[in-house]
Amino acid sequence: MIPPDTNTEEQTEMSTAGGPSEQAQDAPDLSALGVKEGAGHAIKVAGLHAYYGSQHAIKGIDISFPANEATAIIGPSGCGKSTMVRCINRMHEEIPGARAEGEVTLDDVNVYGEGVDVTTVRRMIGMVFQKPNPFPTMSIFDNVAAGLRLSGTKSDNLRERVHRALRAVGLWGEVKNRLGEPGTGLSGGQQQRLCIARTIAVEPEVILMDEPCSALDPIATLKVEELIDELKSRYTIVIVTHNMQQAARVADSTVFMLDGEVIEHAPTKDVFTNPRDERTERYVTGKFG
Amino acid sequence: MSLTSFAPIDPRRRRTDKIMRGVLLAGTLIALIPLVLILYYLLHKGLGSWSGSFFTTDPNGNFLGDPGGIRSAILGTLEIVALASLISIPIGIGVALYLTEYGKEARFANVVRYFVDVMTGVPSIVFGLFIYIVLVKSHIGGDFTGWKGSFALSLLMLPIVVRAAEVVLLLVPSALREAALALGAPRWRVITRVVLPTALPGLITGSLLAIARGMGETAPLLFTVSVAFGATSDLGAQMNSLPVQIYNDISSPRDVIIARAWGAALTLVALVLIINLIARAIARRSRVA
Amino acid sequence: MQETRHQFREDLKGLERQVLGGLDLVIQQLDRALEAVSYQDVELAAMVVADDDRIDGRYLEVHQGILSLLARQAPVAGDLRIVAALLHVIRCIERMGDQCVNIAKLVPLSGYESPKDKDILDSIERMGQLARSQLSQAKDSLGTRNVELAQDLARQDAEINRLNRAIFKRAVEIGDELDMREWGMFMILVARCLERIGDNTVDIAEQVVFVVTGLFREMADSPTASEAARSA
Repeated sequence: MIPPDTNTEEQTEMSTAGGPSEQAQDAPDLSALGVKEGAGHAIKVAGLHAYYGSQHAIKGIDISFPANEATAIIGPSGCGKSTMVRCINRMHEEIPGARAEGEVTLDDVNVYGEGVDVTTVRRMIGMVFQKPNPFPTMSIFDNVAAGLRLSGTKSDNLRERVHRALRAVGLWGEVKNRLGEPGTGLSGGQQQRLCIARTIAVEPEVILMDEPCSALDPIATLKVEELIDELKSRYTIVIVTHNMQQAARVADSTVFMLDGEVIEHAPTKDVFTNPRDERTERYVTGKFG
Repeated sequence: MSLTSFAPIDPRRRRTDKIMRGVLLAGTLIALIPLVLILYYLLHKGLGSWSGSFFTTDPNGNFLGDPGGIRSAILGTLEIVALASLISIPIGIGVALYLTEYGKEARFANVVRYFVDVMTGVPSIVFGLFIYIVLVKSHIGGDFTGWKGSFALSLLMLPIVVRAAEVVLLLVPSALREAALALGAPRWRVITRVVLPTALPGLITGSLLAIARGMGETAPLLFTVSVAFGATSDLGAQMNSLPVQIYNDISSPRDVIIARAWGAALTLVALVLIINLIARAIARRSRVA
Repeated sequence: MQETRHQFREDLKGLERQVLGGLDLVIQQLDRALEAVSYQDVELAAMVVADDDRIDGRYLEVHQGILSLLARQAPVAGDLRIVAALLHVIRCIERMGDQCVNIAKLVPLSGYESPKDKDILDSIERMGQLARSQLSQAKDSLGTRNVELAQDLARQDAEINRLNRAIFKRAVEIGDELDMREWGMFMILVARCLERIGDNTVDIAEQVVFVVTGLFREMADSPTASEAARSA
């Protein structure tokens, strides 16, 4: 009779402790976060205009991003999708000579209003960039904690929040034994999930993503997309993508932009089976762009 | 076109290539000759003076007998340059931070850059004269003093630090700044927590190079600190320094004093070499600059 | 300058041509099957049965082509609707081919010297003409994406349905002798095949409307029309 193998759990622990293998990945566990389900907040953009110096890049946009949904923004290069998204968390104005006008309302507060602190806006509206950008001088732990430290958020349970964020993005199993190692020692996909963990550690209400999977291989891309699907239940997500298949997979509704204007905004299924505007049809079927 | 149709290299081209290589090699050797000669002379003439008492006794200004070592000169150089570094390095890095983080392409920033560039070209004697007229002749805080020499040196070191620091700071990827800003960090925190730590190795390298430069300058010290033989660590008094010591000794009729000059020169070169080696070692261990 | 996704557009057009060609094949088969019925031509009927292989082959080709296109090119929007429609239409074509075969198979069975009823024969001929014209119209409307033609098809089909019911009634009436009854049964079966062909052309019409408008609506027999037909 073969005795039951009582060491399997230990063995699995040890095998994940070693190299940076992706096989030990666990599913994203958002219940670890303190954020309730359905806790997302809607964002409304009204009459938005954006300029680079004298160049009029965004020409009057009105969009509503519903809470707890993922909205994709698609369009050809130069149509202004990244610009528009950067206007939402006021990153656009960091570019010399750039300015924005209009209203962006989060929970009845206009982020462009008088007396609104830009750093608070950015804490409530997080952003994930195209190329993963973990801070090279910081460890994995410090990277995730960076959001809290940089924004000056006082937190007495920093360690807990960092661990929760790592669990939420499904990285915990892969990094729990090397939290002190540099953040740049991870693979591309892991780095991007690290950046996402960094963003959600601050507990924002909305997450903006500017082509988050462009620099990742297909498997890493799928993992991030799965994560986005999970994140939807707790945050409102806006994702800019030039990959239409990704928009089709991930988003509940899709916005098509052209030359700084919104051409169509409809449920994703409709945009990809029966778009209303001729230009949308031509773009998604690849007749231009 | 197939591989077999590649013609062999034209013999004329081969010859031209060889000639060019030979010319460049010859040029390099010619350029190296003075360098080698300098090193040879330094070692040949200076090594003989090196001894225990050389480094532990002060020059005593006697006309006859043992002229003494160069201890006060070494101490003086170290102290004067230390104070100059304390002044120029923080201010220099500060100016560089202003230029890269706040000023960027603004008109004022460009004006500052222009003036910094001009200052790198100003002959060091001019700095000495400037301090001489403003501080020494006016008898502010004494006549010739060590700290006035530090001031003159810091004017010389400042543009070097600014230039080197700006280069290094620009090498910090803007993606890191963006990531920090998007997390809700005020700009000064972005600088202290992200930009400076990332650029630190390069900043150290640049500072050490400025220090090495400052150690070797004679003219500014002549007009501000003048010459002294006595050992004093009081920056408020006249101090000795290596370059001035050498300048003085080399015109002496006594051979033994001339030999001391060579020994001092060798010491100075050795100090600069050590600093350069440290700077190199730090640069190699870092990823940025 | 080539339009973007040139190869994809060519492949898609090719598939559509194959489908339209399939409709031509069906028209051919129908013509021959009807002729075989009229002249009791058993040899012609056998040819119809044998030639159904061509239609089945066409079905497989188009099916394969569509799978390949879906996998390689990920069509969306209008392109996706066309691909879905073509898949549906080629199945209709295959079914219609089978109906022609069914008609052909009835020819030797219905006997050489059997008594015939002129009314039924006329109705069958009329049904055959209608089916043929509906097929032709379906092909046109698909090829030109004409929604009006497609919607008209549904109206025309009402007539075929009416004739089918009429034949049934008539066959019941004339069934005194055994021979006559048998022949009447076979004719009912033929009528049913023709009616099925008519239904399939309406299916094709529905697909045309879907491709153009993105909306799928059943063009079912309206109850009032069938009531009117029954009382006629």
